[in-house]
Amino acid sequence: MLATVRSATLLGVEGRPVRVEIHVAPGLPSFTVVGLPDTTCREARDRVRAALVSCGLKWPNARVTVNLAPPGLRKVGAGLDLAIAVGLLAASEQVPASSLVGRSFLGELGLDGSVRPVPGALPLIEALGDPEVVVAEGSTVEAQLVGRHTVRPVSTLTTVVAALRGTVEWPRPSPPAAPPPPDRGPDLADVRGQPAARFALEVAAAGGHHLLLVGPPGAGKTMLARRLPGLLPDLSPEHALEATCIHSAAGLPLPPGGLVRRPPFRAPHHGASAVSLVGGGSHTMQPGEISLAHRGVLFLDELGEFDPVVLDSLRQPLEEGTIRVSRASAKVTFPARVLLVAAMNPCPCGEGAVPGGCRCTPAARSRYARRLSGPLVDRFDLRVEVGRPEVADLLADGSGEPTAAVAARVAAARELAASRGVPANAQLPAWRLDEVAPLDRGATRLVERRLREGRLTGRGLGGVRRVARTVADLAGHTGPLGVEHVSAALALRCEPLFLEGRAS
Amino acid sequence: MTAAPASPVATSSPGAGALPPAAFGAALARLPGMGPRRLAALLAEAAPDEAWRRVRAGRGLDGPGLRRALGTRAGELVARWRAAAAGLDPAAEWRRLAGAGVGAAVHGGPDYPPALAGDVEPPAVLFHRGDPAVLTGLRVAIVGTRRCSSTGAAVATELGRDLAAAGVAVVSGLASGIDAAAHRGALAAGGAPPIGVVGSGLDTVYPRGQERLWRDVAAAGVLLSEAPLGGAPERWRFPARNRVIAALADVVVVVESHRRGGSLHTVDEADRRGVEVMVVPGSVRNPAAAGTNELLADGRPPACSADDVLVALGLATVGRAGGPDRRPLPSPDDRRVLEAVGWQPVSLDQVALRTGLGVAELAAALDRLADTGWVARHGGWYERVAEAGP
Repeated sequence: MLATVRSATLLGVEGRPVRVEIHVAPGLPSFTVVGLPDTTCREARDRVRAALVSCGLKWPNARVTVNLAPPGLRKVGAGLDLAIAVGLLAASEQVPASSLVGRSFLGELGLDGSVRPVPGALPLIEALGDPEVVVAEGSTVEAQLVGRHTVRPVSTLTTVVAALRGTVEWPRPSPPAAPPPPDRGPDLADVRGQPAARFALEVAAAGGHHLLLVGPPGAGKTMLARRLPGLLPDLSPEHALEATCIHSAAGLPLPPGGLVRRPPFRAPHHGASAVSLVGGGSHTMQPGEISLAHRGVLFLDELGEFDPVVLDSLRQPLEEGTIRVSRASAKVTFPARVLLVAAMNPCPCGEGAVPGGCRCTPAARSRYARRLSGPLVDRFDLRVEVGRPEVADLLADGSGEPTAAVAARVAAARELAASRGVPANAQLPAWRLDEVAPLDRGATRLVERRLREGRLTGRGLGGVRRVARTVADLAGHTGPLGVEHVSAALALRCEPLFLEGRAS
Repeated sequence: MTAAPASPVATSSPGAGALPPAAFGAALARLPGMGPRRLAALLAEAAPDEAWRRVRAGRGLDGPGLRRALGTRAGELVARWRAAAAGLDPAAEWRRLAGAGVGAAVHGGPDYPPALAGDVEPPAVLFHRGDPAVLTGLRVAIVGTRRCSSTGAAVATELGRDLAAAGVAVVSGLASGIDAAAHRGALAAGGAPPIGVVGSGLDTVYPRGQERLWRDVAAAGVLLSEAPLGGAPERWRFPARNRVIAALADVVVVVESHRRGGSLHTVDEADRRGVEVMVVPGSVRNPAAAGTNELLADGRPPACSADDVLVALGLATVGRAGGPDRRPLPSPDDRRVLEAVGWQPVSLDQVALRTGLGVAELAAALDRLADTGWVARHGGWYERVAEAGP
């Protein structure tokens, strides 16, 4: 007897449909899985056999062949367990073959016959074409996010068999609870003083400009960076689904309500390897931190301590918003549209922020500066020196402007950007700058002077105009950019002092 | 070697038959174990060509001065010299120097720099790359530690720049740290030609990575050395080098020195010659300034700017005293910002807090002040400027 069941497997962060074909034939009892299963998937045999026996079902005393089609695609994980078990039952005529029509199955089996959720349920279910999906109860929320299928949440194999035989009704999913209001994280009101750094944060949030914070230890760089996601608007439904797919595939816990509605914030440690940052792995193809931060903020603290090779691997994804990872077994594209925020000490001793304050040797400083490649520094349109707040500010009563007030301005600026057809000004293409970011007479003169002094390069000019556009948008200024907007953009783009000593 | 000096061997070109005395001096300098003192003792007893003949023969090397310089191992040294001299041809040596663009002069010869001729311990043979004629006029040595702070390097650069601009030649050792910073400043000013005194052979750049600085100094001024071509930067050569620096200087300025730094040796050599030593005061927390601060405690005059050095040289300080400030007066609003900036470097954050202005408005005001010369910007830091810059 032959039975076919539809399920799916993960490739990177995308689901790919898989047809599970089971052939039960007379002969010496055996169980073979073909079609490029990984180890976990191959071990389905033992889980399925135990689950069947535990549920009082019969293990066919025959020659069983399981084919996972398409055969060229590597099948990973235990998500095909339920489909194999159901197919085996149909092929051995323990459930009617007709009951499999129009249904897909997804879930891992426990030895006691329980059905368990699998990571990546959202992209997997997204890939299923049948009108009905049978999934573990723990995957219900993700199945409902896709919204195209009739969801059949099950907790044990016994329930599945009974429902397939028609002896009981399929369980119904409970209606999704209203998600709690999303958490915006720590509030900007906690930050004392530091008006320029706060403003840089606001501009970064409004325009999507990458931000480099340079300052001594204790200046509050990390504190500032952690407050950036709170300034960003909620993710649009489409973006939220993208982010949720990635988090689901990586097995991260999803927020209550299932949907990642707030921009994610990821802060990998500086010991991170290139693979952990950009994604990959030999054949599981896990998304990296930059993809986990997709549509949100990637925060690299102690930028100078990262391996330079690892940092340079970020350049292409930062430019294109996606990463192509190629391995012998597969080529995968991960989404990676992030707002990059980095923090670093000005030099190894940390005191070099104030001119003349550094105690490092020139050799140590130039070694430190060399760790950052020029092209990477060029990606940061906002580079701000953060000083330690002054004592009087730390002790003063009254807090700064709260996140909600700043977020409102950011949302308004983002709407202006959207009216230009881009999610944020940082994504304005160079050829549109003359149209959307023209300079008035005074601003043109200022830019000319800075170019002539060598304080601004042609390449930097585009970044300055985009940032100036954002500054103007935040101020509610339409029309050509004025001197104050360009001045602010230039002030927020300092050439960090330690880079001046960079050996040529 | 790429840069050809202006006049490699101006006075005496290698000709067949008649070799100049400097050729024999250069050959003698190449002998093993031949340091400045032994060479001086040798050449005090005989002219270079005669000294060479005696070394070749291994005879006549027993004058009282030479015996003192050779010490107890005299016999062994003379034998080694004789063996090495057998394999050396002064004419080939002379051609090799010319090929490398290096000139040589012996003490007492006509092309020996007068600046060193009268010294208490002049180099017997002096090699040079570049134009030795620049060794006229006033000279200030700027010396200090290789492991300097960035403040020290910045001060050395400024001193080098301002002194060279005032027409005073900067003498230094071309080591990394303070020495290199001083010469970079002097080169940037494009004023008086820089003078570099090095411890290794003029074809042996030390420390590595300073090729460009060596080249630039030789092109704009002159590089001097007592070491023959191929001479390795041996430890004992540096104190000898420091004595040449002190001998050349009218004033020695020590920028930063550790408690037992090599610059203190230059100070001793300067004291032997009665050359004034001035010291740049440093922070009490800066270990690289511990040596210099001790010099101050000994009563050395401080050098807080090039002006102090110029006054010590007897030069009037230029351009500081007179003339009205030509900068356009800032508007009342900008003046408030200017006062908030003050004389210490401040970040944008601090100015914003002091003035209460928004960042965009403040940045525009600071740009106006920078363009009119009231404020200087370094990276993200702003500072008031006393007078209109260059």
